[in-house]
Amino acid sequence: MLRYILHRLLMTVPTALLVALAVFVLLRLVPGDPAQLMLGDTATEETLAELRAQLGLDQPIAMQFLYWLGNVAVGDLGRSITNDLPVLPLIFDRFQVSASIVIVAVVLATLVAVPAGMLAAWRQNSLGDLLIVGGATMLLSIPSFWLGLLMLLFFGVKLGWLPVVGYVSFGEDFGRALAYVILPIATLTLIEIGVITRMARAATIEVLRLEYITHARAKGVPEGRVLWRHALPNAFAPTWTLLGLILGNLLGGIAVIETVFTLPGLGRLLVDGIFARDYPVVQGCLLFVAIMYVLVNLLVDLLYPVFDPRVAAE
Amino acid sequence: MRRAALALSLIASPLLLPAAAVAQEPGVLRVALNADIRTNDPGVNRDGNTDAVMMHVLEGLVGLTEKGDVAPLLAEKIDVSPDGKAYTFVLRDGLVFHNGQPVTAEDVAWTWKRYLDPATKWRCQSEFGGKGQTRIEAVEVTGPRTVVFRIDKPTALFLSMTARPDCGGSAILHKDSVDADGKWKGPIATGPFKFGEWKRGQYVELERFAGYRSLPGPRDGYVGGKKVEVERVRFLVIPDPAATKAALLAGSIDVAPDVSADDLEELKRRGDITVDMAPTMSVSGFLLQTTDPLLQDVRIRRAIAHAIDTAEITAGVTKGTGTPNASVIPVPSSYYSAKQKERAKADPALARKLLAEAGYRGQPIKILTNKRYGPMFDAAVLGQAMLQQVGVNAEIEVLEWATQLDRYLKGNYQMMSFSYSARLDAALNFEMMSGPKATQPRKVWDNPEALKLLSEAMVSADRAKRQERFDRLHGMFLADVPMLVLYNGVDISATGPRVKGYKGWAAGQPRLWGVTLQ
Amino acid sequence: MRVRANAVIGGTLIGLLVAVSATATFWTPYDPLRINLRARLRPPTDLFWLGTDEFGRDVVSRLMAGAATSALVALLTVAAAVILGVVIGVLAGFVRGWLDRVLMAVNDTLLAFPGILLALGLMAVIGPNKWGIILALGLAYSPSVVRVVRATVLSVREREYIEASRVIGNSEVYTMARHVLPNCVAPIVVLATSMFGWVVLAESALSFLGLGVPPPAPTWGNMLSAARPYLDQAPWLSIAPGLCIALTLLGINLLGDALRDKLDPRMGAA
Repeated sequence: MLRYILHRLLMTVPTALLVALAVFVLLRLVPGDPAQLMLGDTATEETLAELRAQLGLDQPIAMQFLYWLGNVAVGDLGRSITNDLPVLPLIFDRFQVSASIVIVAVVLATLVAVPAGMLAAWRQNSLGDLLIVGGATMLLSIPSFWLGLLMLLFFGVKLGWLPVVGYVSFGEDFGRALAYVILPIATLTLIEIGVITRMARAATIEVLRLEYITHARAKGVPEGRVLWRHALPNAFAPTWTLLGLILGNLLGGIAVIETVFTLPGLGRLLVDGIFARDYPVVQGCLLFVAIMYVLVNLLVDLLYPVFDPRVAAE
Repeated sequence: MRRAALALSLIASPLLLPAAAVAQEPGVLRVALNADIRTNDPGVNRDGNTDAVMMHVLEGLVGLTEKGDVAPLLAEKIDVSPDGKAYTFVLRDGLVFHNGQPVTAEDVAWTWKRYLDPATKWRCQSEFGGKGQTRIEAVEVTGPRTVVFRIDKPTALFLSMTARPDCGGSAILHKDSVDADGKWKGPIATGPFKFGEWKRGQYVELERFAGYRSLPGPRDGYVGGKKVEVERVRFLVIPDPAATKAALLAGSIDVAPDVSADDLEELKRRGDITVDMAPTMSVSGFLLQTTDPLLQDVRIRRAIAHAIDTAEITAGVTKGTGTPNASVIPVPSSYYSAKQKERAKADPALARKLLAEAGYRGQPIKILTNKRYGPMFDAAVLGQAMLQQVGVNAEIEVLEWATQLDRYLKGNYQMMSFSYSARLDAALNFEMMSGPKATQPRKVWDNPEALKLLSEAMVSADRAKRQERFDRLHGMFLADVPMLVLYNGVDISATGPRVKGYKGWAAGQPRLWGVTLQ
Repeated sequence: MRVRANAVIGGTLIGLLVAVSATATFWTPYDPLRINLRARLRPPTDLFWLGTDEFGRDVVSRLMAGAATSALVALLTVAAAVILGVVIGVLAGFVRGWLDRVLMAVNDTLLAFPGILLALGLMAVIGPNKWGIILALGLAYSPSVVRVVRATVLSVREREYIEASRVIGNSEVYTMARHVLPNCVAPIVVLATSMFGWVVLAESALSFLGLGVPPPAPTWGNMLSAARPYLDQAPWLSIAPGLCIALTLLGINLLGDALRDKLDPRMGAA
């Protein structure tokens, strides 16, 4: 088991290298550079050349890559071009914000969605099933920025219950911090409920058809026990895999929610970085997200046998 | 267990928290900013937002007036030698820095020495170092309050250059702004606000500077009537315009300095929001690539000019707030003469005729635009529709802004919806788009005769002579159609019910002196 | 017969979509691109059934014209993602060993890559058009398919009937096609139908960033993102495309469920 974990952790290295290389190449392929953006319509050939030299962009790309990689090897991700801050602390700072929202939202969504999905599967094609599936589909079809804005207008502006912009970290003032993250968490939770419910329902339908469930029922095991002891663990397995995916995707992809609710999170850092061609920030963020992603999925895979007895320890 | 507790508090909190969360702090003016500032080192790493904040803290020897002219700020008096190569500045009496130290001629000399040192990375270093308009040969201290700047050749633009907000207004700084190694610490300057707490990505705070002494008179650009009526200003970083609007309506911010024309009607209707409109000096329009195989035929470019109804596009894009203008000299400028008002008439029949003469056979013309700047996108959509009406096969290509900027700088386009930011002098408005394309591909208008007229206007200090050059330039510009200027920007600002006295101006930047909170 | 109900409702909705898309190719009430600045943001009337947008264009006409583009982009993207994902997922899950490890490393790399950057990069190469979007989103979504397929393959490959198939002497390829793949159909159909929705929404998010199907050609996604500033001023602009997306998704999902029940091998046996 320990060897397996170690092995998987070692696998992170080639993944990270691949990500690093791909990001580097892709970023340089995309037209536009940070010097142009900083000077905008006031750029002249001289000022551009000067600024590029200052930023080290006049070096050959291979040299830039090796130089950056060398620094990363000793834990230095460089400084942001936009605001001259060291990238690594910046990422940790922003990650805390994103992670607290994503984790709470996914946990809440799972708590609602898995039972709902199971219920729908258990009473397949009943009115309840139809309502649950319909509701989940509706949630799936709402764009997050649209739902977020709607919530903002309703709870923030019309009712005035919650603050509309800003962020306070949980370390500073727990109560106020909570007020700022309720709406983004609620938005994200609703969206994720749609995805997870449908997955849980499909998985449960699969499981309920298997022989041993039929056996258990034939033996007279009460329905509640069938669901709880036999269906839940098995139905949870594919859902669990999906959870890993969702968590990974969200770490990089919550930029939209962070933009609508003005949260200083990792997603916004990344997207702003892309648009500003802030190379060190984008490279650092993606490396970080890639490593986080591998770790989350390792955790998911390690816990997989706990939920699915069929895949015993390798 | 903890999870349950968290879930429970999440459900319960809306009932408990509202009052605390939405409370307004007295004496703090909250202003929206759509992106964080870059640094607080004047004119080093900056953008429009950085200038907006820093110009509350910084002051140079001269500053901009309401109409975009130059006037003394820290200087009391400016003498120019007859040969135009020596500028003598006398500082106002009794000026102090944010740390309480008096402002002396030595400070001016130290500041400029730092700016002119390439290691400072001051973005305007090249302008004064010989590559641009002029070269500063010496900054001499000739008295406790007197400094002489010696430059290599006369220019009409020396003072305007030093007032540029993107150069940080060439602000005079105290030595303690840097540490012993010359590394930047933070601005100790002379403006009406001191730089306060800066929470990256969240907000920047400015504090009222008690020792500030404003120039007398009414509010005038960056120079006059700078009396501060609030204890602190907090610039909140809100990237999303819809969220900014929501924050204003909810009372979470007091000032939204730049709202979209789309929201104008709705904000006006509400009654508790004050809306202010100020024409700015930015120049928006379509760039036409004169070296393009199709567009190099001036008849096609003229056809485009006649196909596009400037007044209708302006009305559509600015929702009736903007003034149509076909000159690169903006409407608020003091050089905007009657001649500058001339423009090509909207005449679809003439456009069709010109197209036929040029032998146009439906080749596609691509209009580049982006979604980051809504007005540029809207102009492209409207322009496309008008071109299609006269039979031009116009297509729109939407690019991400950085990509479009790259195409602009390389001159790689047929037609592009674009905006130039405000320039400080009418000559610079022509300069920004004229030049030899061979060496400067970003330049739009490559006409040797026009370049000669322009260089005369750059050097001369004679107002009448300059005006005559500008008027001739405009005539040539309309004939060549390298660009179709449509309108100058309008800065629409909205303020909440607590705010009195906010006013936008031609620079399109917020000014938070003279603003009171109820 | 419960399957029939799903199929009927789903089929009707999707049939409607196809019919509307087909009609739009030769007829819409107005020209969907025709600008009329004097009729901006008109609420629904008998003249404009769903009102007009910020350029005074008829919303009904744009919805009809957008149906074809949106559906096509989403369908092709999902198809690309599923084909790519199934091939790689089955290979990784069934062959295992070093191939599995390499494939999963590449897969994780792709997954960790934000779709926006991928889209930006690909569009820089291909140019901003619908093929760029299809390729970028297809590539971005295929890793999810890979993971789900691989997980399913891993969980069925140890079952008795797979062993049995091998013991009888069936080739690996035959075993894979006959016994392993059918087990993947159910999760793939569920994922693919969800994905259909994500793609429509992703196209809307990309449009919002200026990277979607280039305007003025309408898609539901870019209509929705363009309507955002007018949410309280002209709500019909958001509701109309939003509802179209939701109904299409409902239809696809119902059809998907019906399809899954029909394709599931154990359903046939039962």
